[in-house]
Amino acid sequence: MFNEEQYFGEFGGRYVPEALSSALDELDRAYRRLKDDNEFKHELESELNDYVGRPSPLYLADNLTSNLSGSKIYLKLESHNHTGAHKINNAVGQALVARELGKNVLIAETGAGQHGLATATVAARFGMGCKVFMGEVDMKRQYPNVYLMRLLGADVIPVPHGTRTLKDAINATLKYWIENIEDCHYLLGSALGPHPYPAMVRDFQSVIGREVREQIMEKEGRLPDMLVACVGGGSNALGLFHPFMDQENIRMIGVEAGGRGDGPGEHATRIAVSQPKPGIAHGYLSYFLQDENGQLLPTHSVSAGLDYAGIGPEHAWLYKEGRTEYVSVRDHEAVEAYKVLAGSEGIIPALESSHAVAFALKEAPKHGGDHIMVVNISGRGDKDIFITAALTDKDNWKNFLKEEACDV
Amino acid sequence: MCELDIAGGRLSLMTHVVAGYPDLESSLELAVAMADSGSDMIEVQIPFSDPLADGPVIMKANQVALDAGMTPVQALEMVRELRVSTGIPVFVMTYANIPYSMGLKRFVTMALEADVNGLIIPDIPFDSSLQEFFKLVSEHRLNNIYVVSPDMEPGRLRDAIGSSSGFVYTTLRVGITGADRGNISTKGLEFVRTVKRYTTLPVAAGFGISSPEQFRSLEGIADIGVIGSKLIKIYDTSGAHGVEKFVKRCVSDHL
Repeated sequence: MFNEEQYFGEFGGRYVPEALSSALDELDRAYRRLKDDNEFKHELESELNDYVGRPSPLYLADNLTSNLSGSKIYLKLESHNHTGAHKINNAVGQALVARELGKNVLIAETGAGQHGLATATVAARFGMGCKVFMGEVDMKRQYPNVYLMRLLGADVIPVPHGTRTLKDAINATLKYWIENIEDCHYLLGSALGPHPYPAMVRDFQSVIGREVREQIMEKEGRLPDMLVACVGGGSNALGLFHPFMDQENIRMIGVEAGGRGDGPGEHATRIAVSQPKPGIAHGYLSYFLQDENGQLLPTHSVSAGLDYAGIGPEHAWLYKEGRTEYVSVRDHEAVEAYKVLAGSEGIIPALESSHAVAFALKEAPKHGGDHIMVVNISGRGDKDIFITAALTDKDNWKNFLKEEACDV
Repeated sequence: MCELDIAGGRLSLMTHVVAGYPDLESSLELAVAMADSGSDMIEVQIPFSDPLADGPVIMKANQVALDAGMTPVQALEMVRELRVSTGIPVFVMTYANIPYSMGLKRFVTMALEADVNGLIIPDIPFDSSLQEFFKLVSEHRLNNIYVVSPDMEPGRLRDAIGSSSGFVYTTLRVGITGADRGNISTKGLEFVRTVKRYTTLPVAAGFGISSPEQFRSLEGIADIGVIGSKLIKIYDTSGAHGVEKFVKRCVSDHL
């Protein structure tokens, strides 16, 4: 009775208690119907254009390109979207699906807060209730987004369990959904979790790659040689990669968070460093960082959005098939890339996206000027100011915080 | 499959322990105390870092057990000791990644060596890619207890019940463990009756049973009542002795 439709090769599936089966079936049916429905497609497109601000620019980073004297580097600026990241593409899409299902409350997990912010935003836009679950560790390090979510009317619920980061927020949201299935839609933020989420989220994010295809043809008259994106759960990467899957000669590089070392708990590199280990958690089968007994390991990354023990099942499959490649970038390299891009192009990337930039800085000089690389700037870096300022301008930042605290 | 020895139609009690909570020895002692005070069968949970069907009480117990170093192998050894010392049926509850990461064959072999009466793994659906799991348990005549939920679509519910052996585990509400919301709903009881109509297997009911009165209200409706989170709460405040008293109160009226 194996239901193959829920899988990418051996990965994916729907490893959840039966309490969720009817809600997931209902979602699956609704999404299948809507994705080919012209009225739905039209409404999604008009929301993406008029509200999100699409298409996002494909920008030739000419200073960086000439400084590195290698590949021609294009940046896909998802950072220019409303709410400052790619997350809104999926949030708008799923909110429209939720409205079709008659659900009036959106619930979501968030790590960096970008997906929570996007969900709170679309909830306000469509007049829906909103609850965002966020690990206590992440609430502390991404406080600007916590404030903004609350301003938008969302209830931000701290998750005190486990590692108090993204994985625990996913568990908490799934559990809240099981308890409140009638009126809630779980607006999952990455291409992971039980079927149909991995495929649905990928589809909503594929607008990134579709635009890149058109834009690069206009600018260069040909397709790029290499696509680069950071990979936490993996939705911005799949969104960029997927529309190019028919092009066998394009290399696709996913950049994982190398954290501060290779030891357990020091990074969030599921694939790139050692032999990846398949496991089952959070409703899907994929590669997970886990100990010898199958317990998920804690993770670390300077960027909350990449700080997660699992990777979306389609990535696991694409890796196993040899279609995509994965590399790892350390915290300090990402922070350095953040500074480099700010200085050379006047663009401040999110710490997540800075991982992709860091790889590009190392890779570009290996190629000639006829090599075209597209790097996804999945989000902008304003939200990271409390982390980056403390790392790059410590004394001034400390004084500022002290004075502010006194004034308040 | 091995038939369960469920005494003449009366309501049986299955109590739940998390292996290794608060430590290995105490959890074994607690399980033995449950058996001694009248529990008919024990559900031993192998702790997992991300227990998706569990509320805060059992989740915390899982974490404490893991922090104390509990492993799946130790948990199965504990089950074996429990089987030997009490002789009552013991069911192992856990999540998919525990058998999956150990290797399904090795896990089933170890479960058989521990003389387990059945497995309860709520996140391996019958239509998942782990068909090997269902094949292994049926080849080795190990009961695979399927957990079904009130809002399942009828076709799926029938298929799920059909893939169950030993007994069928119904949840009295759509939710996670540990709800303490007063009376069991009519909808929940109706669901147990529906499941009874679909199967000749015994039917267990759980999720939200937190008093002896609630347990006894299942008499004549379910074959087995399952109590979990409530017992951990009692254990946390009044120790194994408190749990014994509670178990005795549950079973005394129908003795």
